[in-house]
Parts: sequence; structure tokens; C-alpha cells
Amino acid sequence: MTHQMHAYHMVNPSPWPLTGALSALLITSGLMMWFHSNSIFLLVLGLITNILTMFQWWRDIIREGTFQGHHTPIVQKGLRYGMILFIISEVLFFTGFFWAFYHSSLVPTTELGGYWPPAGIKPLNPLEVPLLNTAVLLASGVSVTWAHHSILEKDRINAIQALIVTISLGLYFTLLQIMEYYESPFTIADSVYGSTFFMATGFHGFHVIIGSSFLFICLMRQLKFHFTSNHHFGFEAAAWYWHFVDVVWLFLYVSIYWWGS
Amino acid sequence: MAAGAVSRLSRLLGQSRPPRGRPMSSGSHGEEGSALMGKALTFFVALPGVGVSMLNVFLKAQHGEHKRPEFIPYPHLRLRSKPFPWGDGNHSLFLNPHVNPLPTGYEDE
Repeated sequence: MTHQMHAYHMVNPSPWPLTGALSALLITSGLMMWFHSNSIFLLVLGLITNILTMFQWWRDIIREGTFQGHHTPIVQKGLRYGMILFIISEVLFFTGFFWAFYHSSLVPTTELGGYWPPAGIKPLNPLEVPLLNTAVLLASGVSVTWAHHSILEKDRINAIQALIVTISLGLYFTLLQIMEYYESPFTIADSVYGSTFFMATGFHGFHVIIGSSFLFICLMRQLKFHFTSNHHFGFEAAAWYWHFVDVVWLFLYVSIYWWGS
Repeated sequence: MAAGAVSRLSRLLGQSRPPRGRPMSSGSHGEEGSALMGKALTFFVALPGVGVSMLNVFLKAQHGEHKRPEFIPYPHLRLRSKPFPWGDGNHSLFLNPHVNPLPTGYEDE
């Protein structure tokens, strides 16, 4: 039997990168078909294959790392770099929407009345639900840190409790935002105000849902004893992502809800 | 050598340092400390903060339901450069008929 003489992980051939790429193609072309040809078939197919890819790929990573021991310290280091780079790319993604917002709001055109918020737009009061949303996300940042310390200190019950608190706060935020969207006196079609507002907050909300799902997976894994006190990178990645989501919200709150009102 | 001195000092002080496996933590919340502090912060600071904010929203909502603004057909609002890909193409996704007018006016007038 041959053994590898290095600490790296030579991953076995896997079909998931291919299925992931194909699902991306189906989603993009599916969106076009939906918008222009009134057909959702490709889009639905794309979304299904995307979800299946994610489930199977990440399941394999868990198998390789937690059960087969391939995630040595140096492999973990690579994973850390990867997650950091991914979050940086997400920061740049949001930077685009913030750029669009400031571009339109710092010099409001005459069509809008020359001021911001534009004529006819009644912005949401930043001291009502948006402030509550801020408190909710900040609290979830505290509870996810509690969860991390609990894992480090081998405190299983507290880690589970803290994760449940964090996920519940994330869900509460999402519910509040959905309600706000429904009660809002302006829509996405209401001038560039509506466009920038809903694109920025909409993508943020999407990321909150992703972050909450990631934390939920961590909860499931914690229940199944996957994490040890010195090897729990999946949890750390989820916590980093969650803090990123929180920080984006703070920028949104200050820029769009507060300054922009 | 300095590292050895530091670790001996830590042991003398009777501190148990958490393992170094935490290279990154959020600036405002990442304090070196026990899970007990995190739990205390969560239940005595963070969640009461959420509670106070909830109370604030509740009280503001009681303040009074304002009348909705009259409909002025501004050309820069209620844009329809292309129909929405669902329904009749004229209703946005989260449209609330009570507060969101269509380009032609409130639906429930």
C-alpha cells in the first residue's frame, strides 16, 4: 500500500465542479429565458442542479476532512486563505452597489427634483424597524462569539445553545425585512432610489439567508460531534461570514437608511 | 527564550489560555475571554438591547397610522421600462396595494 509523503490533500477526482459550472450556465440562461421568453424551465433545472451540487460537494468535503483526516494544519491554512479571499470578493461585490447608491444620491438629477430622497419618496424611518434590525444583527455577532468560545472550551451544551440563539436572531432579521419590504411605501421601480435600495438590501438579505443556513449546518454538525476544540474550521468560516454580513448591514444602515433619508 | 519566560509567567498566574487556533475574530466582539463572558454578554447586553429596540418599534407603531400620501403621477416613479416577468407584469414583487400605487394610481381607490 502506498502512502503519501507530504501533508497536502490530493483530492480524488470529483464531478461536482462540472455539475456546478453547468448549473451556473443553466441558471444564467434560465434567467434570460424567464425574462424574455416567459419560460422558467431552465431556471428551475439550474436551481435544482445548483442545490444538489452544493449539497454533495460540501458533504464530500466534510467526509474528507472530518472522517478521513485529510485536513492537516497546512490544508486548513489553505482553506482559511480560500474563505478570506471569498469574503473579500463579496466585499467588492457589495462595493459596487454602494458605489451605485452614492453615485445617484450625492448628485441627485433634476428628474428626481434635484434632492435626495427624490420627490414623492417617503423613506423608512431609520429609528424604527431598521434600528431593531441593527440590534438583532449585533446581538447575533455576540452570540456567535459565545458559540466559538464554547467550542474552544469543549462546552458542548453552550455551543449548541449559542448557535441556536444566533440562528434564531438571523431568522428574526429575515422575517423583519420581509415585513418591511411588504409595508414599504416605495417599490424597486420607484426611480433610482428604489433600485439602489432594493438591490443593496435585497442582496444583503440573500446573504443573511446564506449565512443563517451555513450556521444551521454548523449546528447540525456540532450535534453530531464533528467539531473538536482545536479543529472546527467549518464553524470559523461560518462565523467569519456572519460577521461580514453584520458589517455590510452596518454600512447599509448608515448609508442608505440613515444618511439617505 | 522570551516565549518560555512568558509561558512560565502565565502558569504562575494560574491562567488557562485558550488555544491559539483563532487567528481571526471580529474587531468589536472578539475579546479574549471565556465562553461565560460571551454568554453573559449575550443574555445581559445583546438580547436586552434587542428587547428595547422591539419595544421602541411597538410604541412607534402605536403612535398612529398615518394617511397614505395622495397619488401624484411623477414620471420618475413607478417605472415600467419592461414588464415584470410574473403575473400581469405590472405589479412589483412585494407590492402592497394599500401603500404602493400602480403607474395609474392606487389599486384600491
